[in-house]
Amino acid sequence: MKLIDALAIARRPVAEDASLLRVFLACGFTPLHLETFLSAALSDRSPLERAEVTTGLFGDLAGNIERIQPGDCDALVVLIEWQDFDSRLGIRSLGGWRVADLPDIVNSAERMMGRLEHAIERAANSLPTYISLPTLPLPPLFATPSQQASSYELRLRQSASQFATSLAAQARIRIVSAQQLDEISPTATRFDIQSELSSGFPYRLAHASAIAELLAALIRNPTPKKGLITDLDDTLWSGILGEDGVHGISWHLDQQTHIHGLYQQLVASLASAGVLTAVASKNDPALVEQAFAREDLLIGKQSLYPIDVHWGPKSESVRRILKAWNVAADSVIFIDDSPMELAEVKAAFPEMECLVFPKSDPQAFWQLLRRLRDLFGKPIVSEEDSFRLQSIRAAAVLPSSSNGDANSLDSFLQDAQATVTFTLGKQKDDHRAFELINKTNQFNLNGTRLNDSSWTTYLDDPATFLMTVSYEDKYGPLGKIAVLLGRVQGTVGKINYWVMSCRAFSRRIEQQCLSWLFDEFGLEEIYFDYQRTERNKPIHDFLSSIAAGPLDGDARISRARFVEKCPSLFHQIKATVNG
Amino acid sequence: MDNLEHRLVRCFSSVFPELNEDQIRNASVDSVPDWHSLASVTLISVVQEEFGVQVGLTDLPNLVSFSAVQNYVQHHAAS
Repeated sequence: MKLIDALAIARRPVAEDASLLRVFLACGFTPLHLETFLSAALSDRSPLERAEVTTGLFGDLAGNIERIQPGDCDALVVLIEWQDFDSRLGIRSLGGWRVADLPDIVNSAERMMGRLEHAIERAANSLPTYISLPTLPLPPLFATPSQQASSYELRLRQSASQFATSLAAQARIRIVSAQQLDEISPTATRFDIQSELSSGFPYRLAHASAIAELLAALIRNPTPKKGLITDLDDTLWSGILGEDGVHGISWHLDQQTHIHGLYQQLVASLASAGVLTAVASKNDPALVEQAFAREDLLIGKQSLYPIDVHWGPKSESVRRILKAWNVAADSVIFIDDSPMELAEVKAAFPEMECLVFPKSDPQAFWQLLRRLRDLFGKPIVSEEDSFRLQSIRAAAVLPSSSNGDANSLDSFLQDAQATVTFTLGKQKDDHRAFELINKTNQFNLNGTRLNDSSWTTYLDDPATFLMTVSYEDKYGPLGKIAVLLGRVQGTVGKINYWVMSCRAFSRRIEQQCLSWLFDEFGLEEIYFDYQRTERNKPIHDFLSSIAAGPLDGDARISRARFVEKCPSLFHQIKATVNG
Repeated sequence: MDNLEHRLVRCFSSVFPELNEDQIRNASVDSVPDWHSLASVTLISVVQEEFGVQVGLTDLPNLVSFSAVQNYVQHHAAS
């Protein structure tokens, strides 16, 4: 982005009632155009929201962070350059570069890293925090020629790396990827010495723009896609199974088909991180079964569900897979080597992103791998991610077990040996609870989303409670599948937010949640901040089935009404109170 | 208005959005209250990027009006 465009975007009018994101930009240099670029990049990503960027004092990075108080801003951005660790690592201070000075420079830098780490950790307790590590070259202060790394330089880089590693372990801290920045902003063209000397702003405009873009992408992180549907022949493996046979298909270096092995490896990696992965293939099911029995495949059959194999249109497979997953088409990527198949699926699901597998173009294949990582990447992989596919597979048992007579669901649930675990405790760093609240689930009370700041503010209110719900039965764990946020006053409860994973449907967990709330808090009545959304028919139907009157902004259920309407519940209950 | 002048007006407009074109062509440090040091640095950065010129440290103090910037760009920008 050019500065002239950034100035125009940053000044673009936004609706008065647009939500406001207040970002504090902490740096030790003059923020100047970086402030403009960041404001523009944030506005560009969310045109309907306002972004307000404020900054601190020149030359006092640690102090700027230490002075932040909860509520001052919604997000903290920390831009570190070498001179923030010790001013002698910059060019505006003349503190001496003698050989005898070097040990002290390194020691002093390490002490500052300790101070910064402490300050950032404290700030990150109440704020999402985004950090850019030094991006500019070290000045020529070491005695070695530039082609030789000095031991002091190596120690500095090692300490900075340890500093970042330690911070990255915190749930609310994100570090800008140095590799990504290197790709979009070549290291040799970043430093503007004239600007640094004249105004204290050390970046060339293109570099400032690149950093701002990456930071904005971290702050306004796009929602990751949920599922990947892949073709088999000439995609998951090289060759046509029906023609080449089970032992004729390949994915190895010696057969020049290694990119298919890399693709298998990436799909397996995505599956292990909770991405739903399935197969849509025109093939002979028996042959596919044999192919998946090959022990050298890098992705096992257990990581792919459903595997939909037949000779009909692939859009039919995609439709069945979406139904089994219970996700919308716009959350899914379809990959096939055949442009015709891609077009057929795209025609049936225009909102689905359909990507070609470039079997003859390794460079394009490399871009595909990276694109997939970006489409599915998430800041943190939770425990629940590891059993998502397993629980969907287990859920397929549910309808078949409940077919037949009217009491079969009761029998099935009674036989499931289910345990529901309720946890009360306002853990701000409960990533899974925060993730659930912001899902556009069908079982979502009102579709209202919380950002980091409003999440923290809500939990800081002593009158509120956070309840999370985990589930496990004989088919396996579903993990943390529901979150409720609300308030209790006397015998009246109010649920402000309630989201439950669609994987947990048909197990009467929603009834158990209310039953437990009535009992735990001694409630006589529960009100709901219910709002109809495009997707929340399941919670609408549930509330309609137990509420006395029509649903509106203040839907309510009395204890007596609930007891009358509640079906039999068979779960074993566990409860934990944290704090 | 030639192409260079048109582009330069656009640069000035991005930094001083409240000025119209006539005011921009007559703008100077003395006539524009908002033309302070920060605005000056931003303006020169926008001009450098737009015209691919590098304004030297010693030239900066002389660029105090629209016409001064216009003259500078005419003499230093690659054709």
